[in-house]
Amino acid sequence: MSENDSVTREPILVCDQVSRWFGGLQATKSISLSIERGEIFGLVGPNGSGKTTLVNAITGFYPPQEGRIEFEGNPIQHLKPYRVAAHGIARTFQNVALFRGMSVLDNILLGRHILMRPSAIASLFYWWMAQKEEIAHRRKAEEIIDLLQLESVRNESVDVLPLGLQKRVELARALCAEPRFLILDEPMAGMNQEEKEYMVRFILDAQEALGLSILLIEHHMDVVTAICDRLMVLNNGQKIAAGKPQDAINEPAVVAAYIGKTDHAA
Amino acid sequence: MFYRLTGVYQTDYAKDRALWPIPTDRWIALLLLAIAIAAPFIFQVHYVANYMLPWLIWSSAALALTLLMGVAGQLHFGFAAVMAIGAYSSIHLARFGVPFELALLGAGLISAVIGSIFGAAALRVKGLYLVMATLAMQYLVDWVIVNVPAISGGAQATLRTPDVSFLFIPLESVWLYYMALLWTVVVTLFVLNIKRSSYGRALVAVRDKDYAASIIGVSPFRYKLSAFFTSSFIGGISGAILAFCYYQAVTPEQFGFHVSIQLVAMVLVGGLGSVVGAYLGAGFVLLLPMILTNFVAGLGAMGILNVSASLLAHIPLMAYGALIIVFLLAEPLGLAKIYDNTRKYFLVWPFRHGQS
Repeated sequence: MSENDSVTREPILVCDQVSRWFGGLQATKSISLSIERGEIFGLVGPNGSGKTTLVNAITGFYPPQEGRIEFEGNPIQHLKPYRVAAHGIARTFQNVALFRGMSVLDNILLGRHILMRPSAIASLFYWWMAQKEEIAHRRKAEEIIDLLQLESVRNESVDVLPLGLQKRVELARALCAEPRFLILDEPMAGMNQEEKEYMVRFILDAQEALGLSILLIEHHMDVVTAICDRLMVLNNGQKIAAGKPQDAINEPAVVAAYIGKTDHAA
Repeated sequence: MFYRLTGVYQTDYAKDRALWPIPTDRWIALLLLAIAIAAPFIFQVHYVANYMLPWLIWSSAALALTLLMGVAGQLHFGFAAVMAIGAYSSIHLARFGVPFELALLGAGLISAVIGSIFGAAALRVKGLYLVMATLAMQYLVDWVIVNVPAISGGAQATLRTPDVSFLFIPLESVWLYYMALLWTVVVTLFVLNIKRSSYGRALVAVRDKDYAASIIGVSPFRYKLSAFFTSSFIGGISGAILAFCYYQAVTPEQFGFHVSIQLVAMVLVGGLGSVVGAYLGAGFVLLLPMILTNFVAGLGAMGILNVSASLLAHIPLMAYGALIIVFLLAEPLGLAKIYDNTRKYFLVWPFRHGQS
């Protein structure tokens, strides 16, 4: 992944001068970035630095007031979230956003919504109009279940699962949509070391199997430096560093943002 | 026990997603259907016409409401108005000479369109505010029906249903019952199929977390409206069936506010979003008062209960109210949950715990 840097790849997502404010609070200030096809792009920064706002701007929840966002060359900054999904962008949420009343399997099947043709009429004539489609998509969902090793909890209700598994189910739901671009908002928050390692492997497996480009927000620096190809660091809504993970997190501005100023920045 | 999971292995996805993957459930469903079909031959006419027939029709109406309130999570406190629109539309269409089959379809569509217009409020408001919006529908529809003579046939008028036939069978005597049965079976399969298909999953997704639903491509706008449309369509036809097969003459009071509350009670007592619950809830709300009244009157006639006539009339109401409280305290998730617990107990018997 990170070895062939000499090859310039086409960008899949481009943010150009994206700004978003809430009343007097400027959450992101003119942020520009370009994510290349096939890479894992890390987005880090202290709490409240605008990472999630940027992601919400990309996915249409809080459209940017200024700036452009292009996905595969198409402007998407004014699309509603469900339209953004149809373009091939999937995401997970910081606080797990699963459908609690449903089983793991139904949650994952919902990931395939944009690829299905749901209608009340098809449900009425299920045996003639819906069954074939349901089974075809079930087969695809089972591939993802297999990839993320969720077979044993398939029929459990999601609210009885531990957090680590819930995050994995959410990843499965996102992958099920066959996205080309995946946004992971703190997929390892609240996990122990073992769960984190599992999650990293699943992310790398999925990236390899599905040829994904990934935008990863994460606070665990060991994870970020290990798997990201490039990194951007935000603080107070502004870009303070970008580049190779090791270089970016050692920039004086980043060290200052995280642990405060020292007499001589190492 | 015969009710076991042991030996039940699904080997393909179609069987795993069947309506009743467990054989015993399938047999119970078939047995109930057989009893329902044979009912006119094994029970007295009085019981079939006055207990089973209204129970079936109210079950289909409760199914429509549970689809909206339970599956899609949109509260509706004016559902009797939806049924009223269906009932009056079908009668007027039939009087115009429209074949009954098409009159039913038209009644469903008219109810669905008007129901979705009021349901559009759901796109902006939730919870109690949606209750207010749907209550407004109840009162507006009531007012229009009472005050527009072309619809109600004049104030305090009773509109008789014309004689009709369904698929060349004149709707009379026992065929009224079979018509209601047919409709209830269709609605039951419809709601069961919705719950296992992508459409139903999208409805539940919007109910549980609308922002998570939109990020996977489900438009909350579209599915909320669609839930109102589908549910009002079923509700409208159920109203029409109720008018033609049971009341045979309609007045505005039959679809008043108290009926809306009764429908909500059916859905809540039965268990939100549950198909079995709709049947149990409709049975509870509709039949229990009748049974209690008969029971108390019987006790009074036998001289066991020696109280004044007015108290005798009120005891069933008190007992009914107390029973609702008892059931909801014992199981807030409704009668369907009690059924579900019992079923699960037998599924894993003789073990105490396990997964279904």
